[in-house]
Amino acid sequence: MPKKLSRMILILITMGLLIVPLGGFSEYFIRLLAMIFLWIGKTGCWNIISGYTGYIDFGAVGYYGIGSYVTALLMSKGHTPFLVSILVSGLVSASIALPIGLPTLRLRGAYFGIATLAFAEAMKQIILEFDKTAGVNFFEGPHGITLPMGPKNEFFYYIGFGVMMVVIGIAYWIKRSKFGYALRAIHEAEQAAELSGVDTLRNKVKAYMIGAFFLGVIGGVEAYWLTYITPHMVFDVLITIQMVVMSLLGGMGTVFGPVVGASFLTTVYELLHRDFPYTYTIIVGFIIVVVVLLMPKGIVGTLKTKVKT
Amino acid sequence: MLLFLQSLMNGILLGGIYASYSAGFSLIFGVMGVINIFHGEMVMLGAFLTYWIFTLFHIDPFLTVPLSFFSLFIFGYLIQRFVINRVVEAPPMISYLLTFGIHLIIAYTALGIWTADFRTVTTGYSGMNANIGGIIIPYARLATFVLALIVVAGLYFLLYKTEIGRAIQATAQDKEIARLMGVNIRQIYAITFGVGAAITGMAGSLISTYFIIFPQMGLSYTIIAFCVVVLGGMGYIPGALWGGLILGVVQSLTATYLNAGLSGALTFILLFIMLILRPTGILGKGIVE
Repeated sequence: MPKKLSRMILILITMGLLIVPLGGFSEYFIRLLAMIFLWIGKTGCWNIISGYTGYIDFGAVGYYGIGSYVTALLMSKGHTPFLVSILVSGLVSASIALPIGLPTLRLRGAYFGIATLAFAEAMKQIILEFDKTAGVNFFEGPHGITLPMGPKNEFFYYIGFGVMMVVIGIAYWIKRSKFGYALRAIHEAEQAAELSGVDTLRNKVKAYMIGAFFLGVIGGVEAYWLTYITPHMVFDVLITIQMVVMSLLGGMGTVFGPVVGASFLTTVYELLHRDFPYTYTIIVGFIIVVVVLLMPKGIVGTLKTKVKT
Repeated sequence: MLLFLQSLMNGILLGGIYASYSAGFSLIFGVMGVINIFHGEMVMLGAFLTYWIFTLFHIDPFLTVPLSFFSLFIFGYLIQRFVINRVVEAPPMISYLLTFGIHLIIAYTALGIWTADFRTVTTGYSGMNANIGGIIIPYARLATFVLALIVVAGLYFLLYKTEIGRAIQATAQDKEIARLMGVNIRQIYAITFGVGAAITGMAGSLISTYFIIFPQMGLSYTIIAFCVVVLGGMGYIPGALWGGLILGVVQSLTATYLNAGLSGALTFILLFIMLILRPTGILGKGIVE
């Protein structure tokens, strides 16, 4: 496909998506699209952290959960405006990512994955037990926090759309920047990158913090949308796993992989989950196994190689 | 003082349970470098095998242990031979995802067939304890502890005293050289996975006699196995015993003296600190990538 044409198509799709809520579609359809946008956002963040560097983060939900809690606390207890809250959510997540990322990103392979998983689970347990242990009423433990009622789905449609566009934009910018080359070099051969003068730790931590920032923002957005959160909901390890699977399906380390993977899987989920809840998960399992065995580069990656050869 | 000793005892017995199902995880990682996310499902399958045989035919759970061993051996052998062997040379990421896919398939198929009901295997001796100077020791847990010791000793014997064990060790150390020496690597991988699955299934059988079992129990077992194996040292088999004991005792003492909910938080904080400071485990004999 010529470059100009594909750019035209992209612009048309974007414009189309902007006017969808005005087109009289059902509330359900708007909600589904908004959900897809937010999944693309989350998967995009995971892809920046893990797809580009090859460091598999099993604890990404930790930052999403932190973001949800920051927004929930700010809005319910501090009556802070929504946009300020989600921004603070992002900043808090990113600033926690710094001390967590510095030691863990020195670990290799499986050790990094386990350490991040331990981090996310520890966060969940701490929020669950903090109030009881300290004798206060702050995080409300397993009872969760209720946020003020939010506006209609159209609002979250546009917020989700905006966040998604920013994440995709940043992923695109990273891919083409010097920073992106450094990350790819880390993925391919970390020691060689280090010898060529790439400050590997610094670059890895930077990618990790960017991912954490937007995961925090998205956590805040979804907390407001859900209006009620508990530690079990927002620190659910299955959220991380969805991000991993969507990235893998679409193609890790590609800009549009998360778009394809998240759209596809969220749609499959909507079609199957209500009527066949177990079947959906079993099918996802089979999809993962088949994709891993037959096209480990994901949908976008496989298409790219097919086109080239 | 009695409270402390009882709590210590509970921790040691819990540690034995942890060790019994974590040794296989360590073995599989040590030889193939595969982090097996469906490890907990093998515990679940062993437990459900025992449950059904006990419920349908009233056969004592302890007599089903050999059956669990053989069934899970065949299961592990086949799944490695025909599925995981295809990606064993790929980057580790690929094998996590593959085993994660298998985890979803097994856990949710089991959920579809057996429903989410909580089940227990209650035998005539389920509540029976030994009482030594006021310290209570449940027999079933003691049996698991003994099993954990036998498993670790058995693996040690297998790895160091038999021909196959030497081939497994050679493969773990350098698979290319092992291949040059005429070792059939793929066969060795399949056998290793089979053995790992078999001992895990046995642990599952025993666990069904004192813990609640349900189809989705697996993931939490996998996570504990992670912790145990990291504490003891990845790939170092006796480490599973040390890791299990440390984790069991820490959890039991926290639950007694602080608060039961905190023991979960403490587990993960301990794991996190361990990984940062000493990724080779308490004894420093684990494998580091």
